[in-house]
Amino acid sequence: MTANTGKPARAIPGQPDMWVLVLFEALVFTAYFAVYLFHRSAHSELFLRSQARLDPRFGTLNTLLMLTSSLFMLRCVQASRAGAIRAAMTSALITGLLGTAFGVSKITEWIRLVHGGSGFTSNEFFEYYFFLTGIHFLHLLIGFVAIGVIACQLRRRERRSQEVVETCATYWHTVDLLWVLIFSLLTW
Amino acid sequence: MAGARADGELILFWTLPVLAAIWVSAFFLFPGFAHPMSPALTAAQVAGFYRDPAHLSLIRSSMILFNWFGVGLVPLLTLLVLQVKRMAHRTPILSYCLLGCAAGGPAVFLVADIFWLLAAFQPGRDPQLTLMFNDLAWMTFTTAVPFLIGQSLIIALAIYLDHPGRPVFRRWVAHFNLVIAAALVPAAFTGLALSGPMAWDGLLPFWLKNTAIAAWIAVMSVVLGRNIYRQRAA
Amino acid sequence: MRSIAWHWRNNPKRELWLAWYATVVFYNIFFIVFFPVTHAQPPPHPGWSDAQVAYWFARSHGGLLAGFAIMFAIAGLTAPQNALIAYSMRRMSVSRAFAYSYLVMYSLSALPGMLLLCVVLSVGALRPGRDPAQLHWLYDFGFLSFTGTMGIFLIGSLVWMLAILLDKNRVMPKWFGYLNLCNALTEVVVAPAWIFRTGVLTWNGLISWWINIAVFGIYTGAFIMQLRNLILREDFGDGPLPSLAEATR
Repeated sequence: MTANTGKPARAIPGQPDMWVLVLFEALVFTAYFAVYLFHRSAHSELFLRSQARLDPRFGTLNTLLMLTSSLFMLRCVQASRAGAIRAAMTSALITGLLGTAFGVSKITEWIRLVHGGSGFTSNEFFEYYFFLTGIHFLHLLIGFVAIGVIACQLRRRERRSQEVVETCATYWHTVDLLWVLIFSLLTW
Repeated sequence: MAGARADGELILFWTLPVLAAIWVSAFFLFPGFAHPMSPALTAAQVAGFYRDPAHLSLIRSSMILFNWFGVGLVPLLTLLVLQVKRMAHRTPILSYCLLGCAAGGPAVFLVADIFWLLAAFQPGRDPQLTLMFNDLAWMTFTTAVPFLIGQSLIIALAIYLDHPGRPVFRRWVAHFNLVIAAALVPAAFTGLALSGPMAWDGLLPFWLKNTAIAAWIAVMSVVLGRNIYRQRAA
Repeated sequence: MRSIAWHWRNNPKRELWLAWYATVVFYNIFFIVFFPVTHAQPPPHPGWSDAQVAYWFARSHGGLLAGFAIMFAIAGLTAPQNALIAYSMRRMSVSRAFAYSYLVMYSLSALPGMLLLCVVLSVGALRPGRDPAQLHWLYDFGFLSFTGTMGIFLIGSLVWMLAILLDKNRVMPKWFGYLNLCNALTEVVVAPAWIFRTGVLTWNGLISWWINIAVFGIYTGAFIMQLRNLILREDFGDGPLPSLAEATR
């Protein structure tokens, strides 16, 4: 899709193609959630017992970090649209830092769980826990690549593509959305 | 002397007869080929084959030779890819197909080689295990035809689609490749028979297949060599 | 018939079409052999006992041997598919390194990714009297090698994705580039098959097989259609490809 610079604001932010990815991933994750919920209802006592071993402070912190990072991503896009490139770069950087903090927090939580005796293969709940948070973490890493692409776009003087910036922002918001869903599923 | 390019192409080409000599020696060195082992042998007989001190060093040395030189055919295949690139096609896609087949063939052969070496590594083990390794080796070796069939069909196709007035290879080479491809097909079905002409020591999967491969290497080397010398002289 | 003969002689895209039809034929045969003939897919359970595995081999005996024999004969059809995809990258504005990397990786992929399973399960079916513990070893070897050789398809999909996203010649739509990312992720999702013998993350599990195969099926269908569009639009030039509407006018 080629962006025509003389065009007025598009109906869909970023490349429409990115929304195909977003919807597709949403479908796949919905399938994962359905499988999880089905097995949870079959073994609710085991799941509830195992959930109690999760530290709620980590979950809360991680959710706050993710939501705040999305806020800064939004500010980055708005600044970029208005042409305030330095402000946009700063917002992008903060997004990245918050994402990194989320990553560190997640890894810390995993290490604590494993040392506490709850690993990937410990029981059915933790199988789902590590799988879902693991696959989310992978999406987060891809999100860092997206931020990198935004930074590259912002650095350019000519041929900077607002469409690409918005496309990457869409992806980051998806990572945030997936986290909120996973967090809700795993801790309720 | 005129137009002699020091690009190593001729060196690559002349590795072929050396390679052929090594392969043929290794082939007859391996006691399992010189008199092909039947799939109908019992575990005790197969274990006996590997435990026989007269056989053991021959098995290991021939298989190690094959292990070293198994991929030696890749330069020939790559030189053929370069010939296909010279043909009058609109796209390079046929040379890509050929290159893809070139990777697959030697890799599958190496796996068979590993299984034979494994079988010979600890001949004192449970005969059932030795039988299994022997089965894996023979099955892998005999059924390792898909990429050979593929490359013959692709070469034939490339020649048929080439410019009819100035072909890189003459049409009989294409017909020859079709015949070879057909000759290799029965070996794929060897799993269906433990004795008779379709067993892995039988007429079609062993004698016809290996003769076809040898014939293909010989004929393609000759036409390739003629092409290379003719193209370098021009 | 006469139309086919005319195309064989005159269509400048004939080699591309031959590669495309080879791809379609391959997937059809692959599906028929792996699903109804050999019953190797959907995969049987990794948690079975030796006796259950031995029973599975005995029951599928004829289908396994005949079906995989067909694969040994026709697996060369994977070469035109890889060549066509590599060609799609060569048509793009990106470096040829993308096309060649993909070609090398996928050319080798058929060995651990398919042929090993065919050989190993054939050997398992070859002798009905084999010790069940050995059959179990062959069973694990076959299915794990098939399911668990993920690196090639993971990296290969990422290579194609990167080429598509960077391409300025509009060879493939960007959404298909992103779909490559989804396909690459299925290779990560399947990795726990090496760890679990029960549950949803096994080689036949709800997540690692069923949901994964749905994604893979959609991806395969998508790329077959995209390759067809590529051939229809191909103008043998160097620049951006015309759209499908323009090319088929």
